[in-house]
Amino acid sequence: MTAKSGDPVSPPAEASTPSKSTQRTTSIYRAHLPIQEMVDWADGKTCRPVYPLEIQVVAPSLQLPESQHLLRTTQHTLDDLNEFAAHHLRLKLTNDTNGSPPRTGNDGVDTLDSTPEHAADIALTVHVRPEEGLVAPRSELQPHTTQLDVFYPPSQIPSPSTSNPPLSIFIAQELQRLYGEEKATIAHILSGETAGLDSASPELTESISRRLRRSMKYAETYHLSFSLFTPGSAPSSWDIEAAIQEYLAPLLDAFAPISNFTIDTQVQLYATFSPMTPAPIYDEAEAAWTLKKEDLSAFINAAEWPLNPSIGSGPTLNFILYVPDPSQSPMIVKENRASSWIVPQWGGVFLLNPSLAKGQTSNPAYLEQDSLQSAFKTFSHQLLTLLGTPSTPLLPSPPSADPHPQSLPSIPIPANVASSVSITLSHLSATCSHLREGRFNAALASARVAENEAERSFFEKTMVGQVYFPDEHKVAVYLPLLGPIGVPLVVGLIKEVKRLVAAWKARRV
Amino acid sequence: MTTFGLLSLLLTLAVTLWSSTASASSDYHEQLFLQPLPQSSLLASFNFRSNTSQQAFDNQHFRYFPRALGQILQHVHTKELHLRFTTGRWDAESWGPRPWGGSKEGGTGVELWAWIDAPDDDEAFGKWIALTQSLSGLFCASLNFVDSTRTTRPVVSFEPTGDHQDVDGLHLLHGTLPGEVVCTENLTPFLKLLPCKGKAGISTLFDGHKLFDAAWQSMSVDMRPICTSDGDCVVQIEQTIDMVLDVERSKRPRSNPIPRPLSNELLACDTSKPYNSEDNCFPLEKGADAAWSISEVFGRTLTGVCPLTGSDGTQEHSVCLRVPHEKQVFITEGSTEIKKEDGFTRCFDPAPAQPFDLSIPEQTVDIPVPREEPILYAERTIVGHGQERGGMRIIFGNPSNTTAVDFILFESLPWFLRPYIHTLQATITGRDGIPTEIAASDLVTSTFYRPAIDRERGTQLEIALSVPAASTVTLTYDFEKAILRYTEYPPDANRGFNVAPAVIRILNVENSAPVYIRSTSLLLPLPTPDFSMPYNVIILTSTVIALAFGTVFNILVRRVVSVDEAAALGAQSLKGRLLGKLVAIRDRFRSKETKVE
Repeated sequence: MTAKSGDPVSPPAEASTPSKSTQRTTSIYRAHLPIQEMVDWADGKTCRPVYPLEIQVVAPSLQLPESQHLLRTTQHTLDDLNEFAAHHLRLKLTNDTNGSPPRTGNDGVDTLDSTPEHAADIALTVHVRPEEGLVAPRSELQPHTTQLDVFYPPSQIPSPSTSNPPLSIFIAQELQRLYGEEKATIAHILSGETAGLDSASPELTESISRRLRRSMKYAETYHLSFSLFTPGSAPSSWDIEAAIQEYLAPLLDAFAPISNFTIDTQVQLYATFSPMTPAPIYDEAEAAWTLKKEDLSAFINAAEWPLNPSIGSGPTLNFILYVPDPSQSPMIVKENRASSWIVPQWGGVFLLNPSLAKGQTSNPAYLEQDSLQSAFKTFSHQLLTLLGTPSTPLLPSPPSADPHPQSLPSIPIPANVASSVSITLSHLSATCSHLREGRFNAALASARVAENEAERSFFEKTMVGQVYFPDEHKVAVYLPLLGPIGVPLVVGLIKEVKRLVAAWKARRV
Repeated sequence: MTTFGLLSLLLTLAVTLWSSTASASSDYHEQLFLQPLPQSSLLASFNFRSNTSQQAFDNQHFRYFPRALGQILQHVHTKELHLRFTTGRWDAESWGPRPWGGSKEGGTGVELWAWIDAPDDDEAFGKWIALTQSLSGLFCASLNFVDSTRTTRPVVSFEPTGDHQDVDGLHLLHGTLPGEVVCTENLTPFLKLLPCKGKAGISTLFDGHKLFDAAWQSMSVDMRPICTSDGDCVVQIEQTIDMVLDVERSKRPRSNPIPRPLSNELLACDTSKPYNSEDNCFPLEKGADAAWSISEVFGRTLTGVCPLTGSDGTQEHSVCLRVPHEKQVFITEGSTEIKKEDGFTRCFDPAPAQPFDLSIPEQTVDIPVPREEPILYAERTIVGHGQERGGMRIIFGNPSNTTAVDFILFESLPWFLRPYIHTLQATITGRDGIPTEIAASDLVTSTFYRPAIDRERGTQLEIALSVPAASTVTLTYDFEKAILRYTEYPPDANRGFNVAPAVIRILNVENSAPVYIRSTSLLLPLPTPDFSMPYNVIILTSTVIALAFGTVFNILVRRVVSVDEAAALGAQSLKGRLLGKLVAIRDRFRSKETKVE
């Protein structure tokens, strides 16, 4: 909090009481806002976000000078390869994985501080291991952990004399490749385009902007809403608790430091398509009912299906499990035979075609956990896409919160908005300095506070005035006075001008 | 027992429904109860009820419970909710006691009361406002106008109907909107809350045109927790729609809804009247009950049964009709009929997914369904004249010859109606018709009174009264009308201001289910100002100032010249030239006239 938030403590209480507002009907309380500072933040002048990622290198098999040399040369190669200054990889050396004080490299290689909260900020651990029978070094990314194993032929141990050992070049290229997408994403977010990043291929650029288009804006809380829709009366229940516990809970745990998630589910029977939706067409070749790709946007009957956003702050992601009527089963998308699709920034749909025994004319009344497996695997993929996770599982970039400058002259600014703005600004600066030092968790926490406060002040409801006195109204009220006074004044002025002109002409003649 | 036949039937129905829910964790029931009423009216009582286990409710796994409503209730920590949408007036003199003992109806407009879990009153009120705002969006009703002036905290008039673990932490808040017009936009969200959504079962009969054309209708939503003795809790949501249809009016086809007078031959006249002639007719009351069928009265047939009913194994009849067993009733083939032992009730099970219709031909039956008498009649009116003062008169009639009726009168009055409680007077009238003034304290056993604060809260008055057997009690008190501020008047200020109906809770009923009566809402004419006055003032003041300004301006800019100069100036000026032209025109006309002559 800055000093500004301290002084206007009493105004909000006064402004909120109705008696006060009735006494001063037309005047508007406008708290002071640091407009210039806000504009600077919005333009990105105040803070240049940097993302220094710490990468720990573990090379137990190497001698200390050898490993130091490897580190130094790799760092050099990395710096040469990198053309995007905001995203910077910093290598650090540890000789064992137990977290004992690590060695210090010389140029550009900092001391690794192994306090527990700092250890969490290590983006990647590179294990350098010798392996017999290899011609060239190879790497392997461990699933579910941030560990990259690099195997090298023992013959390629870099001697301190060589300036550019092949192993260093290999590690640098691997890291560059791994972080390429993330780097391009950050560059894209910061600049709006990837113009500054030459190495980014057009396909990568396209895929990033596509992903960002589909994904939701960052929020502290996301509401996940799972709905079972069916046009008939069955199925009317599902083993939803077990399915969520089994297929979704692990994913949500992984996202816990970034956002909170709430889950609600519902079963909706007799959910018919809207009359505007083209009906599915039976395809003989596929032996299935098909929906055209261009009609998928009209699949959800927004008027009839109760898909209202969840109550409370934060966006709602809707996941719809649609079980078609047995007379229209199986149902697929015509073009790609898919049974699921994403609705950008809204949610996902999955068509579940229950296997019916011959002659069975109704869907099962209850959906078992097993039959929900494919649907919920798809939902978790859709969730990842909607949250904007890159296809390589790395640290997501913190959100950026922009305060909004107020340019409307007649809208009130309550004091709590001013204090929100100052909290936002101070937390933004904190985020910036945390980022510079590579403390991503702390930066994320600060950014969350800033985002929250900015949202709160943006949606402050007292800023939308209940009584609005436009200038036109005031003119209309005073017109009976201004009219009779104005007319003789104007006529007199015209007369006077005429007289002056006549006098001037007479003098000329 | 015959006196309270229908009432007790519905009460026992309700009691059995309550008790049957105790074991089931998640189930759904629906039932339609039809009863012909005197004056060719038909009472249709729809009931939809489902249970959800408390655990599924808390984890937001909604199956029968509507998700939108469930999330609102959890967000504002509402443990029990009652919402009512009512239009019309229940004619107790002809129709008898109210369905469900009046516990499922509200006062005219919208009525909402809820038990909210909150540590203190202020927090409870904050949650209450959040609740009304959310429900306003959900039901397309103006519930967001339930502010502090329309909110009361009744002390003795309402009691929670659910099983709550911590009753002390719950706050009861009650709000009414007597001016709300209930219509189709409220029915559509109401139907969406039902699991079968008006696509199957008895809910297929709902048609906004018929429902809101009824003489009286009430929609209700109740939510409450129900616990068994061993601690198993379910959350119950019960939705009802009760309506009284005028059979003749409902049978008019929608294409030709204007009533046409019957031709002379079709009129049934009382020929014994001395004035009976070709032109004069005293209409004879029909001996037989009018014929009707579901498709005629509701404009559509019922479609099958909602397949979710009876999922817990209990067999329940979805349509019941209360007419004597002697009466002939035709039903669609494939459906079954079960006659109950009381001699007046029969129930039907429609075939699944098939249209179901029920028709009763015109017929005369010797044994009519016994007509029941309500426990208490109540009527409330505003009396007095003038813009400054008025009075309230409430008349209670006890039809019983043997038992006195104890009840609580609950009034929530707007702040601009300022009652003088010291003027409370009572008049008692026996069967002999002679009114006797008695002290109000003789009848009133206790009073809960919370005076109004201008623009902050309304008056809350709860009076416990007792009306002796076979007598009518008239209660009156005076009030003063407040003068509102200019901006506080609504656009239709001269229509009057709505005063919420009084709620009467009858205490001495043997059954556990509560019995309520609501009076009609009232219109209070307030002194209304001339709304153009500020503008008149502005214009008048401006004119005076402009006049003064004009005079001063004129004096300031006037040039004083001698007579010779004035003539020279005048010839050159616009005025002079205009005058000259006028003179020229006049001269020309004069010369023409002389020519003609």
